[in-house]
Amino acid sequence: MADLHINLAGIKSPNPFWLASAPPTNSGYQVQRAFEAGWGGAVWKTLGEPILNVSSRFAAVSYNGQRVAGFNNIELITDRPLEVNLQEIYETKKKFPNHAIIASLMVEPKQEKWHEIVKRVEDVGVDGLELNFGCPHGMAERGMGSASGQVPELVEKQTYWVKEAARTPVIVKLTPNITDITVTAEAATRGGADAVSMINTINSLAGVDLDSWNTVPHVAGKGAHGGYCGPAVKPIALNMVAECARNPLVNVPISGIGGISNWQDAAEFILMGATGVQVCTAAMHHGFSIVEDMIDGLNNYLDDKGLASVMDLVGRSVQRYSNWGDLDLNYKIVAEINNDVCINCNKCHIACEDTSHQCIDLYTEDGRPMLKVREEDCVGCNLCSIVCPVDGAISMVERPSTIPPMTWNERQTLISSLSK
Amino acid sequence: MSEFQQSMEEIQKIDQYLDKGYKINDVYENLSGMFVEFAQQEEVAVLQILTADARKYFAAKLQEQTSLQ
Repeated sequence: MADLHINLAGIKSPNPFWLASAPPTNSGYQVQRAFEAGWGGAVWKTLGEPILNVSSRFAAVSYNGQRVAGFNNIELITDRPLEVNLQEIYETKKKFPNHAIIASLMVEPKQEKWHEIVKRVEDVGVDGLELNFGCPHGMAERGMGSASGQVPELVEKQTYWVKEAARTPVIVKLTPNITDITVTAEAATRGGADAVSMINTINSLAGVDLDSWNTVPHVAGKGAHGGYCGPAVKPIALNMVAECARNPLVNVPISGIGGISNWQDAAEFILMGATGVQVCTAAMHHGFSIVEDMIDGLNNYLDDKGLASVMDLVGRSVQRYSNWGDLDLNYKIVAEINNDVCINCNKCHIACEDTSHQCIDLYTEDGRPMLKVREEDCVGCNLCSIVCPVDGAISMVERPSTIPPMTWNERQTLISSLSK
Repeated sequence: MSEFQQSMEEIQKIDQYLDKGYKINDVYENLSGMFVEFAQQEEVAVLQILTADARKYFAAKLQEQTSLQ
């Protein structure tokens, strides 16, 4: 069995699976049940001045029968007084001293406000702090959450203020509602952040009811944008984690968040540079017990890979993530169709003919319909294998290139040297 | 004519110039593709390359020429 313990910027937990700051970490009752179920850490639902919520807060996007492909919420931070949360954090930490409890914090962008809440929260024994610069709805209208998280100067300054008062590690949670997340990640690093976490939710409207014309969700006939998360956002989150992981100016550990639903998702985030992961939507969909499969699956995977510790997995794919201009223009793959497995649905032919490069031919052999790829015209786009409903019917196979590797950047350098 | 055939013809033309002793002298690219100037002593010829595969091939040939210089 591999060692699943992690150390994220000095915050230790028995495994890399933390519950993200969200409804599942609203109370001591929930967090204690989560720890009993096996979660290694929890980021407490964001503390700040208690807010007022509306009724009708969540909505989900289902796609072709998959429930909760995406999840939208307009719930705000905690609506409970700080003292109540602090008492429950203290009790939870006392019961689970080896689990990580991180307090998510959000206050107005004022130095004295940050100093006050940091001191009060650290007094009850949290293992770290997470600054919520990401919530896109409600609090942003009041200058907090993503409103301050979208301004690099405010990220840096507020992080600095927190670090002035903090004795525990400070994680800065970043908003994805920005063109380039590395800019705010760099700002957090300059401000002294011990780690960054990403992503918070993405501005969203889950839908419009075609009968009533109300938004989904609606509050007495009115809607407002919410925050989108769940499996649909995973590729966006994974890219943002990877972009930060390969940025030398973001030289702090990363806590990965965004659509992580199983051990495979977690392993992908860890490979792309996350030291640990945070989960919300999957727990809301299936309950705390999903962590059992996550632990078992990651353990088996590490054993299969011959790794003694999950920390040995961190960032192993980062060097494989590059700029488009550094990819080999002469690398060649083509589609190969196995007609023994093919069910002749012709989806590959239709997709290729209508929307790609028209290189899959239909023909008949001994009265049997067949499909064949004209390799010379195939550009290796993968579309046919993506739309194919049968595993193993279409493979993308490498073909040796007749010319040596060359990237776009190398090509441009070569051409510009000619004109000198 | 398929794009593959078109690219093979363009590649063949590149090879023909190089086999005749022409050197790649200049190149410029615009909305119409790539224009390559081949030169041999006083003779200059310009070849327009339209296809992506031929433009990749050209870059490989330019690399060969540069590494021999």
